[in-house]
Amino acid sequence: MKKKKVFALTLAAVMTLSLAACGNNGGSGKGGNGGGKATDVTIDQITLGEDYTDIEADLHFLTHKTDVVDTKFQDYIKEFQKMYPNINIEYEGITDYANDVTTRLSTGDWGDICMIPTTVSKDDLGDYFLPMGDTDTLSQTYTMLDNFSYDGKSYGLPSMANIQGVVYNKAVFEEAGITELPKTPDEFLTALQQIKDKTDAIPLYTNFAAGWTMSAWDAYIDGCATGDTNFANEGLTKGENPFSDRGDGTGPYAVYDTLYEAVSRGLTEDDPTTTDWEGSKGMMNKGEIAVMVLGSWALPQIQQAGENADDIGYMPFPISVDGIQYATEGPDYFYGINVNSSADEQIAAMCYIKFLVEQSGFAASEGGVDCLVDAQFPEALSAFQSDTVKIIMNDPAPAGEETLQSDINNESELGINVSGELATEVVENATTSAKTMDELADEWNAAWTAAQEKYGVTH
Amino acid sequence: MREKRSFREWLATGKVNRRLVMVTFMFVPLLLLIVFTYLPFGKMIQFSFYDMAYLGDREFVGLDNYIEVFTRDDCFQALKLSVYYMIGAFIQLGLALFFASILSTKMKGAGIFKGLLFFPYLVCGIAVGFIFKFFYTRGFVLDTVLQWIGFNLDNLPYWLRDTSINNISLAATSIWRYMGQNMVLFIGAIMSVDSSMYEAAAIDGASGFQKFRYVTFPSIKTIIVLNLILSITGSLSVFEPPYVTTGGDFGTGTYFVIMNELAHESQKVGLASAMAIVLLVIILIATGLQKLFFWYFFGEGEKEAYRVIRKRKKRAAKEAALAAQKGGTA
Repeated sequence: MKKKKVFALTLAAVMTLSLAACGNNGGSGKGGNGGGKATDVTIDQITLGEDYTDIEADLHFLTHKTDVVDTKFQDYIKEFQKMYPNINIEYEGITDYANDVTTRLSTGDWGDICMIPTTVSKDDLGDYFLPMGDTDTLSQTYTMLDNFSYDGKSYGLPSMANIQGVVYNKAVFEEAGITELPKTPDEFLTALQQIKDKTDAIPLYTNFAAGWTMSAWDAYIDGCATGDTNFANEGLTKGENPFSDRGDGTGPYAVYDTLYEAVSRGLTEDDPTTTDWEGSKGMMNKGEIAVMVLGSWALPQIQQAGENADDIGYMPFPISVDGIQYATEGPDYFYGINVNSSADEQIAAMCYIKFLVEQSGFAASEGGVDCLVDAQFPEALSAFQSDTVKIIMNDPAPAGEETLQSDINNESELGINVSGELATEVVENATTSAKTMDELADEWNAAWTAAQEKYGVTH
Repeated sequence: MREKRSFREWLATGKVNRRLVMVTFMFVPLLLLIVFTYLPFGKMIQFSFYDMAYLGDREFVGLDNYIEVFTRDDCFQALKLSVYYMIGAFIQLGLALFFASILSTKMKGAGIFKGLLFFPYLVCGIAVGFIFKFFYTRGFVLDTVLQWIGFNLDNLPYWLRDTSINNISLAATSIWRYMGQNMVLFIGAIMSVDSSMYEAAAIDGASGFQKFRYVTFPSIKTIIVLNLILSITGSLSVFEPPYVTTGGDFGTGTYFVIMNELAHESQKVGLASAMAIVLLVIILIATGLQKLFFWYFFGEGEKEAYRVIRKRKKRAAKEAALAAQKGGTA
């Protein structure tokens, strides 16, 4: 009998232990204000170099910029420590950033500063991130706060703003005899054909195999393709059949159709399944690739990938609405502060974020624009300062509907701005001629409409 | 009737120490097993009944996720791709058995060949994926080698783009990786066969093939069955080759790749958990069927095949009946 007792006791001990572990996981999984006491200080109250200069803190910083963790960021830390000698910052670069961080956020104990992944819904922001101030107050200094503002408070500051356009090689365009930049999908395809006929360069490189590069195409379907700053909300989220052909070379259909036609006319790389992103930067720099459709952040990377930095230019996406090309300006990743960190760590984190946004020069070095009200426009984007090009900003989702687009997007599995599923399907079907562009658009409309219905959007 | 002892006496018997040792040794592995295997598994079963993303609120939806798994067309379409990998598994086992029988004889350089064939198994799956991405790239390794032996590049397919061949290309990478491991297992089994049986067979004048058919094969039956079951269940849950090499594009998305897309890109964690459990059930059923098949046709371990036993019984029964008949007429 007694042997059994001992065994049963031990087993019980094991069970309770593991149950306790389970209980802990469950608790922190919900996030919440369980950790340290959150500070009341807001980022606008801090004057860099004057306030809190003797604060002591060790900050852990999660970043997606794995390429500059050991170089540029270390210089920023040195610069910052001239003002705040007692704040130490340790960067952790994460390759599969959005996925990994989403999982780590749910543990509550991930560090002090991170780039907020887009998977966090606005109504959950308060569970994970510290409010940095009232949106109204902050917007006097900073721009583009909307993505992570909720209930009048801002939970993140944008690291920089990207301008949506197309990277191209000026030398290749010249060799092909293209004197004027294409303004419509037809002109664009003609230009690509000309490049194919007259040069050895690959006209349009899709970077299909990398996967994430395909989601770049989704960034053009809102303001860029329609000129309507509210299209993302009214036209896409709540619109009826947003992917249908509008017949005038505008709208989401025109964006994907440009890609479809380019692939089916053989104006892209031979074998999309074996493309190589790192290699493609150098190839473009050398003039072996004429065009890549990527945000302005790609510009400095391609310029630095070889000796021909001056050949690389940036132009608006070739869709014109009533003779005007629209380029949308949008925020990159936002800095967010862990709500569970101690008050000192949170204040120190705010000082560093303020420094990064206002003084580090990070945006300019990454081909973006500072997210400050009085920001200067960088020279690399001079093609956008023209009478026929207008820079616009997509409107934020109206109050109460902040999560509607991501809900519908997830439900429909189209993965707009997440997985690049649409552009991937376009390349696949244009290559194998399995489905036409219209069939694809019909499928997407059906999936989108079904998801809209689930979230109560009817027409 | 056991005499009653005090607790102190009981402690002093030494039996306690033995128990204590057993329990403490068991504690750590049990704890690891529970924390890292059964708790997550239990959580997954729980998730499969919820409509949930990684972050945010969860909503209990009962069996909705399971219904969706069976009504969606992409989930079970993806399982069809497993056929490529299953055929691959048979080829892989055949090759492994072939090399194992050759390399287990006394031949020169057997050690080097064993090492070379086993080596791919030591390379991590992600690296294998990248290696083959370059291997299959247009005009790279494979195309170059084929051009040496007289193929024209224009007649060669795009190994990963062409939907009629890309799944075969991927299944081939899986054969390349696991063949060596199967072979080493087979060699081990063949080595353990009693050599006097081969001598006896030689005296009886058996040919090489006959030796394999009647001595080696029955002795290593168990390990063949084990390898086959592992390969077939493995081919139902292929993930690395399509995920790394093609990203599941161009019709190469297996069940696991689709599951991963649903969970991470569309944030449908509940649905993906339900898919995982459905696959687990399918694998259990497949394993059960295979065991049954082998029990009937080949027998398990030392036991003979059920088919043989049944035939013998029938014959015995017939003979008995016949004898009874004879006895009756006589």
